Amino acid sequence: MVEEDTEIDCVLRPMNCEINLLSRSDGSTMFMQGDTTIVAGINGPMEVKSQKMAYDKLSIEVTYTPLTGPAKVDDRLIETYIRESCESAILVSLHPNTMICINLQEVQDSGGLLACAINASCLALINSGLSMKFTIAAVSCMIEKETGKIIMDPDNTQLKNAKAEFTYAFDSINKDIVCCHSVGRFSQSEFLASVDKCKQVSQFIFDFYREITKKYANTV
Amino acid sequence: MPVDQKRINGPESSVPYNIYIHSEIKNKGIQPDAPKRHDGRSNNELRNIFLKTGIISQAKGSAYIEMGNTKIICSVFDPREVPNKTGYCVQGELFCEFKFAPFSHHKRKMHQQDAEEKEYSLILQRALEPAVCLQEFPNFQVDVYATVLDNGGSALAAAIMAASLALANAGVPMFGLVTASTVGIYDHTYLVDPTDTEETFCCTKSVPGTVHNHGIIIQAALPQHGQISEMFVVGSVDTDTIVHSMDLISEAHKDICPLLEQCLVKTVFKTFRPNIKKTDTK
Amino acid sequence: MDLQYKTIHPVKYLQDHLEQGIRPDGRKFLSFRPVSVNVSSIVQADSSAIFKLGDTSAVCGIKAELATPKADIPDHGYIVPNVELSPLCSPKFRPGPPSEQAQVLSKLIDIVLSNSRALDLKDLCICKNKLVWVLYCDILCLNYNGSVIDACIGAMIAALKTLTLPEINYNSETGVIVTHPENRKAFTVRTLPVSASFAIFEKQLLLVDPSDDEEDMSSTRFSIVMDDEEEICYIHKPGGIPISQNLLCKGLEMTKVRAKSIRSVINAAISTLNVNNIETNSPK
Repeated sequence: MVEEDTEIDCVLRPMNCEINLLSRSDGSTMFMQGDTTIVAGINGPMEVKSQKMAYDKLSIEVTYTPLTGPAKVDDRLIETYIRESCESAILVSLHPNTMICINLQEVQDSGGLLACAINASCLALINSGLSMKFTIAAVSCMIEKETGKIIMDPDNTQLKNAKAEFTYAFDSINKDIVCCHSVGRFSQSEFLASVDKCKQVSQFIFDFYREITKKYANTV
Repeated sequence: MPVDQKRINGPESSVPYNIYIHSEIKNKGIQPDAPKRHDGRSNNELRNIFLKTGIISQAKGSAYIEMGNTKIICSVFDPREVPNKTGYCVQGELFCEFKFAPFSHHKRKMHQQDAEEKEYSLILQRALEPAVCLQEFPNFQVDVYATVLDNGGSALAAAIMAASLALANAGVPMFGLVTASTVGIYDHTYLVDPTDTEETFCCTKSVPGTVHNHGIIIQAALPQHGQISEMFVVGSVDTDTIVHSMDLISEAHKDICPLLEQCLVKTVFKTFRPNIKKTDTK
Repeated sequence: MDLQYKTIHPVKYLQDHLEQGIRPDGRKFLSFRPVSVNVSSIVQADSSAIFKLGDTSAVCGIKAELATPKADIPDHGYIVPNVELSPLCSPKFRPGPPSEQAQVLSKLIDIVLSNSRALDLKDLCICKNKLVWVLYCDILCLNYNGSVIDACIGAMIAALKTLTLPEINYNSETGVIVTHPENRKAFTVRTLPVSASFAIFEKQLLLVDPSDDEEDMSSTRFSIVMDDEEEICYIHKPGGIPISQNLLCKGLEMTKVRAKSIRSVINAAISTLNVNNIETNSPK
């Protein structure tokens, strides 16, 4: 058991973060998980076009720009994940008839892009000072093809041997599942095992959020 | 051609396999002078028509029509304000969109509306507008969407009928029902309600340089008032032929109109006595 | 009276129903809508299926075409799924390019196809490096009343299952292609992935197979796709309120039962088709 605990300590790739990177945004961050890097910027709350206006809540618009080429169908899915996850975290009824824009730019992808994007947008939200119900932390993991072992936060080389890949996002209060995405085929027990493990690991990300906020709190 | 970033794209170019079918097998050929048509009908005979209303629960009114292999679904929505319009207009508008499903055609259709579909949308609008009491909803538009699921010929005529049924089903005030039918002309042969193979056959000229009659006539009418709302001709047809085909078409309208009326009566029965069908089957 | 109440107070209308332990359409919380499948009714498509889930219905038509394969995977064919949420199916949609929702739906279907490995793209190879099949699977939503992804996946799988492709002779030296349209071969689909959707309301109330109104007012939704061997092909929860693991497990158990019944409906629809084929062929 002791062995496993030490294992969990180093399962995540090193995280790095720079806050207030963009001067024109209301909240911004550059977030790195291993080599996977995302820049996120948040604008708002601001005026909204009448078409997209929601009279009882804040509407959220997410724009994700891939590294090369124009935004494709694939990126729409990432945008949906981020929009719906953030919507659950932000106190949307506090700002009716307004909107915020979350803009994400992929800088480098070496595995776990979706998790990194969710974490980056959550950090940017913290930085923007919007009131939130809770913070969210996304963790990715994979099941190795031969051994059936669960590997946390895999990079691209590890992903080549993956049987299945998961991305989960948890809330900071109950550690319940906010969003869930999977690749590949897997059994129910494998799924439950991966949820458990990711849930444990998500604490490291929440701790990281705390650390970052502490560090930058006096400069904000 | 620019790549459509809003859809999942296949290879840059692909060809249908039909073009590689040996021409001997492919060209069964249509004999214009044969006593029976290739599906066993006589020249003046219509295909069987199946009609149903109210199949799209999310729409205000909807209709489904099947004429032989042609299958069309049509829906009508609540009036809404005409977008991007300034000023007041005494009359309401109809907005019609006619679309072939990508798999409905011999050759795969693209997702965007092509020129043919745009033209058909306009014809659909022109055919329906005289039948709708547009003054009842000034400054508003009613949306009519028709989608061809399977094109077995005479799709536009079927779409016009489906749309008029859907409008009636939606409770849009109308002067009368609109019926439409198609005649394919090849030389001296008149093919009422042509199939898709007959349509292509009628559109091609047999001997280049001769003055053969060939073409397709589509006519929409309000048979309850004896009025014609729209007529559309493609090909090269002389006046006498047009006059003769008008007679044929008006005969067809007389046959079709009771079908539409019956279908609507059934719908009315269903809404007022929803249990009637259950007791019938028992 | 009922209708006016629904229009004026949609949220309260639903809540009042839920408090009484029933849903507005008369179902219990955990009952699915009836399913019906119809295959090969569209003559012009290579194969087609209509999948109805209560009011929700989707039609999938497959058109097969020929193309040259990609250079890096010379023996793989293409499968191109696209979902069209046309304005025909609901007043929510407007004419024009596909909405964001339609794009996400197309992508989800693409993910399910690749995750489940229902088809081997190598089966679509005619001549390595030269000629492969492209299957354009166009899914058209006809009636948008919730759980559309279930209907789309059902329609597509049923259509794929009934797909036959004509024999193609390709001469690799001369490059001449000849099609034999009479010689159609069935196409192997290894497994039938089936999807089930769920909606969650306040206090972790689980509703299965939500209708459109229920989806709109729910706090979160998730979908689970399962294949023949009860392996999970996809779990999709885009966001919304956090839910406990137990709730997901409950969903998994329900999907297992649901998948079985849907699979039997699809298979039954396909077997009636085969019977009809024999009947029509024998007198000739």
